[in-house]
Amino acid sequence: MSRTKIVLAGEGGQGVQSIAKILVEAGYEAGKQVLYIPNFGVEQRGGVSIAFCQIADEKIGEPRFAKGNIIIMLSDRAIDRCTTYVDENSTVVYDTSVCTKKPEVKCKEIIGVDANRIANEQLSARVFNIIILGVLLEATKVLELSDIKNAMEKALGKKFDAKPELRELNYKALEMGMGLINAKVEA
Amino acid sequence: MVNKLIKEDTKMFLTGNEVLAYAANSAEAEFMYGYPITPQNEIMHTWCKLLPKTGAGFLQTEDEISAGFSTIGGILAGKRAFTATAGPGNVIMQDAQSMAEMMRIPFVCAVMQRGGPSTATVIYAQQETRLTCFGGNGEGFRIVYSTAGHQDLYDYMIKAFNTAWKYRFPTYVLADGYQGKMREPVLLYDPASRGIKMVPTTKALLGEGEIGKDRKSAHLRNTYNMEEELMEVLEGYKADYEKISEEIAEWEEYKADDAEILIIAHGIVARSARTAIDELREQGIKAGLFRPITIRPLAVKPLRAAVSRAKQILFTESANGQLAQMVLEKLYGLTTPYSTLFKMGVGVTGDDIVNKVKSMAVAV
Repeated sequence: MSRTKIVLAGEGGQGVQSIAKILVEAGYEAGKQVLYIPNFGVEQRGGVSIAFCQIADEKIGEPRFAKGNIIIMLSDRAIDRCTTYVDENSTVVYDTSVCTKKPEVKCKEIIGVDANRIANEQLSARVFNIIILGVLLEATKVLELSDIKNAMEKALGKKFDAKPELRELNYKALEMGMGLINAKVEA
Repeated sequence: MVNKLIKEDTKMFLTGNEVLAYAANSAEAEFMYGYPITPQNEIMHTWCKLLPKTGAGFLQTEDEISAGFSTIGGILAGKRAFTATAGPGNVIMQDAQSMAEMMRIPFVCAVMQRGGPSTATVIYAQQETRLTCFGGNGEGFRIVYSTAGHQDLYDYMIKAFNTAWKYRFPTYVLADGYQGKMREPVLLYDPASRGIKMVPTTKALLGEGEIGKDRKSAHLRNTYNMEEELMEVLEGYKADYEKISEEIAEWEEYKADDAEILIIAHGIVARSARTAIDELREQGIKAGLFRPITIRPLAVKPLRAAVSRAKQILFTESANGQLAQMVLEKLYGLTTPYSTLFKMGVGVTGDDIVNKVKSMAVAV
């Protein structure tokens, strides 16, 4: 029985919940069991935003879990809040171009990605979260790229149709995100 | 009549709040009154989004006091009305809920618990358990279903309307912010396809025919002059409530038959307990679950039987023992020792329960 537990954490406004929705939608459409809980404070903007996602082959019991397989931390505060979900079997991913520190955790692997810098310099700040989605897709390996593309189409299809270049931009961001993990693994 | 949207079995991937709006429509609800409060807002958002197709009605009131009383007003006017709230909203709606209890109004309310006391967190808790069962200045003549996921939300929201309209006690679907906000697959269906017949909506006032000839006059009171007069009415309510308690009480057991350590949990925490029980059983620890589905009234006989069979009990809640207090009262005379795992306003994970049960097993 396989179950992948994901914690995705960042600042409100970074688009954490948007990509969590695309991820679980992709899992649902791919016939997986999925469960997603958004977690946020009372603020309209700012504050730490966390998405708890599970993708499994069999029916999911506990909605909240103690330790995740993949923990993505997209700000210093996200590092502080989410260290508790890390254990020796976790893979931790953090953004080196947003965070001013490295997570101090005992885990299987820590991967630093500079998605924010790449988004700003090479693509667009608006697709920062989609780069992270690519990172997540490659780090979890439970879903196919086509599953994610279908789910993106469902969430953003109308915007894509109005501006076809947005589709290309988002696909590029996704692939660059996947590449960031591959580059790290090879190094 | 409203248009029912779910005509055949439909698998969907929804948030719990969306599920509740669909369920109310499937239960033929005609009107929703409400006031926004996280984490239940999307019930009314979804209800409103569906209005052009359902032809139902909605009124956003100025606060939850008004939402509660407006719901009563809608029902008195002959509509199948309902409401939903959470946290401080549930607190200030208690006046109306007490009135519904006093006047035997088929008041249906979904409560999506958030942290407390006061504003606290907007996310999750099981801290409105006592409030929903016994809030207000009354005796808790209410029926409360505690759900553990999206299928439950759909099933029990439909059932809540039937229970309320059949027995005329305020009826609640008690869930929480996790269930409201989380997404998971759910199967929506037309109740008729499951042999569920909806109890018809009847007029409390302004019924057909002539008073005294075709029908009795409706005299709904929430005010009494004499103390004894009040008690006489309430004794009648109490007798009605006790009479139906056994037939409406629902519970679920999971590997409880041979359980040495019996976990008692409700709502979504019971779901974490299932995950924990599977893991504990793999490690050779005989754990099981007793989950009250109606937390008011409790299924007392099956509860006592399960507790009598076990060597130890564990109460676990995202509150400081609100369910445990209600259960312990019903276990009077039994001597099975118990432990507690209470996390106030915080989710209980499978790992939390595994660790706790293991420490209990070692202690034996």
